[in-house]
Amino acid sequence: MLFPTIDFALFFVVVFLGHWLLNHDRRSWRIFMIAASYVFYAWADWRYVFLLAGVSGISQLAAVWVSKTDGEKARMRVLAVGIAATIAPLLYFKYYGFFALEWTNAVEDLVFGFSPPLFEIVLPVGVSFYTFMAISYIVDVYRRDTEVAATGDVFLFLAFFPHLVAGPIVRATELIPQFRSPRDARHVEVTEALWLILGGLFKKIVIANFLATAIVDPVFGDPVRISALDAMTGLVAYAVQIYCDFSGYTDIAIGVALLLGFRFPENFDRPYAAASVQEFWRTWHMTLSRWLRDYLYIPLGGNRRGTVRTYVNLMITMLLGGLWHGAAWHFVIWGGLHGIYLSVGQWKRGLRERGVLATPPDRPWMVWLQRLTTFAFVCLAWAFFRSDSVASAFDLLGRMVTGWGEPSTLVTPAVLLAIGVGLATQFTPRAIGTAIRERLGTFGPVPLGLTAAATLFAITTLGPRGVAPFIYFQF
Amino acid sequence: MAAGQVLVTLLICLVVWAFLYGPELRRAADTHAEGPRRDVSLVITGALDWFSRTTRLVALTDGAGRLAGRDPDAALGAGADVVVDPLPPISPEPNAPTEPPTHDTDMRAPTNDKKLRVVVVGDSLAAGLGFFADRVFRPALVDVRKQGRISTGLARPDYFNWPSEMRYIVDRYHPDLTVVMVGENDNQSLRSSSGDIETEIGTPEFPPAYEERVEHFAKIATSAGGHVVWVSMPIIRDEDRWPLHERQNDIYEAVADRLPNVAYVDTFDRFSKDGRYTAYYDDGEVIQIREADGLHFTADGYSLIMRLVAEIAVEEFALDPRTFEG
Repeated sequence: MLFPTIDFALFFVVVFLGHWLLNHDRRSWRIFMIAASYVFYAWADWRYVFLLAGVSGISQLAAVWVSKTDGEKARMRVLAVGIAATIAPLLYFKYYGFFALEWTNAVEDLVFGFSPPLFEIVLPVGVSFYTFMAISYIVDVYRRDTEVAATGDVFLFLAFFPHLVAGPIVRATELIPQFRSPRDARHVEVTEALWLILGGLFKKIVIANFLATAIVDPVFGDPVRISALDAMTGLVAYAVQIYCDFSGYTDIAIGVALLLGFRFPENFDRPYAAASVQEFWRTWHMTLSRWLRDYLYIPLGGNRRGTVRTYVNLMITMLLGGLWHGAAWHFVIWGGLHGIYLSVGQWKRGLRERGVLATPPDRPWMVWLQRLTTFAFVCLAWAFFRSDSVASAFDLLGRMVTGWGEPSTLVTPAVLLAIGVGLATQFTPRAIGTAIRERLGTFGPVPLGLTAAATLFAITTLGPRGVAPFIYFQF
Repeated sequence: MAAGQVLVTLLICLVVWAFLYGPELRRAADTHAEGPRRDVSLVITGALDWFSRTTRLVALTDGAGRLAGRDPDAALGAGADVVVDPLPPISPEPNAPTEPPTHDTDMRAPTNDKKLRVVVVGDSLAAGLGFFADRVFRPALVDVRKQGRISTGLARPDYFNWPSEMRYIVDRYHPDLTVVMVGENDNQSLRSSSGDIETEIGTPEFPPAYEERVEHFAKIATSAGGHVVWVSMPIIRDEDRWPLHERQNDIYEAVADRLPNVAYVDTFDRFSKDGRYTAYYDDGEVIQIREADGLHFTADGYSLIMRLVAEIAVEEFALDPRTFEG
């Protein structure tokens, strides 16, 4: 079920009523919310609810087993088995086809003539997200950061519909404690929730959907013949589109959860205002970044095992981060580029600490120069992320060099305006948003409802017709 | 705010928005494929639309739409937000025919100054195919114009009138080659351009009536001496829809056999393996040609179809082989 649809609006009204009516009967509430979340998930394809239930069951079994095992080595073995069992469905659904195809074309003739069967595998929506959440739960139990939760809570933690299909990647310690006590029905953060939901819809419907149809799809669909200006603008437009699409989705998810009295962690914090790639990763898809840091980079040794090992760990983490998005070489290159960026940043920091490299002056122009440079490097990596193949990405980048002198057909005032508005969201003073929310907070239900209706009407009228799926649903 | 008040806020928001947006919701419901969901949607959104028009709220809705660059009176599918290339006006050849040909003719040899003009028309499959036509045909000799429009077909000219659009394309752009891929959305009753049902789906009258539309469309596309390659409906994962695709393919193939300058490319049997659907194709190297939805094609798949189109055009219409990358 997609958020910006009437189906979801009707579903949510029913869930909202049930949630608050059952709020003080936790057992009934939990059953109701699990059922609602599974209905939400089954809307597109009912068969995958068994996968969701299976991953939930396996992770709970693994967590219980780890908690009851004594001895560090034995606990580690149980953890490894638990993680392997939890991640196995993800590996099969997401990566089997890729490796089978690569094997068939590259290795078949060299190794025994064996070729793995090529199945038609459809990636279940959200499997990458809830698998990572399940792994974090098992590891947190292993690390004794959290206790084994009630089975119903674990099933709801993984299936909870606001985060189910595209995050944010919430931790058990953040969400399960909120399940245990009734939510405060007297104080629902409706103003903040509506601000997030309507802001998310604006970013998704007005900016992301418009840029997709007006320039991004034509540029990436046909990178061979476009002009240099179209290629460059299209790449920047994609940077804005993917930000507005994904942050719009997570804003809606956070807002929907807030209407039910639950608070999710932030997932974006003005990433294109970052003055370094390291800062970019602290503000872009923050819940994935911290997952990669806490469950991959740090266990690999982080930066504690010397300079070379730090670079290796960064590369491994980012390459796997790229592969998490999809089993294709262009995602691997995207991750690899970010690994290189982060390693170079780490190397430069080391040189500065040793006094070999001068620290840049702390001036506004320097900050803007760093922001611009960071944005350019991030955009370069987006070219590989969005293209359908590595060759297409090089075609696009090549046109930025060879396509000068050809007329631009896609760069219009509306496109530039949409890009400008999307980028402006990164630099608008937070006080403006706070002031608007405070003003809206003084409204009663009727004026607030009317204001929200008028805003929603403006958003749906300004955006293209039809419902485009969110980009991150495919991951 | 208390939860009860929040519910009031949400309901006010949704109800007022539904009334304001009623005419657009009615349009959206009208575009759904026939079935219970469409019937229910039409009843509900019809009531919203009626309220909006009775209270003159529609003036506000339409005015806001116009401000946003949206034509509320446009045909249902005309506003579909898809990428179509602009069509530059081209002067017709001095001796260009004005009637459909009576026998097969060869395609003209393109030059750098006078490129071959290719258009790709049809539904979302054609929209995808159009992007890869650009990658298969050589830009120095071929000018490709993507005209695919999602959710369209030949069954509902009230939604999008393809014959009328094809007439416009022919008159304005005089394509040498029209690549057609359409039919996925035609599993429904045939309507007139005013929306009235002319032929019910599932009746014995449907196949000949649909064939008449296919033939009419192909004749328009070839009316100024152009050529058509009609790409069949592909095999898809959903086996329940195979009879529909096979029935329609029989019609497309029959029309192509009958009409001069029209050729047919099979993508049903060619892209199956042992009679079953497969996402892969062995072309010396095994490639994945189908998207996860079991219907659309990957970049490799669309490129492969486009090469098949070019090869059949070489075979049937003597297309200059220099025009594409084999």
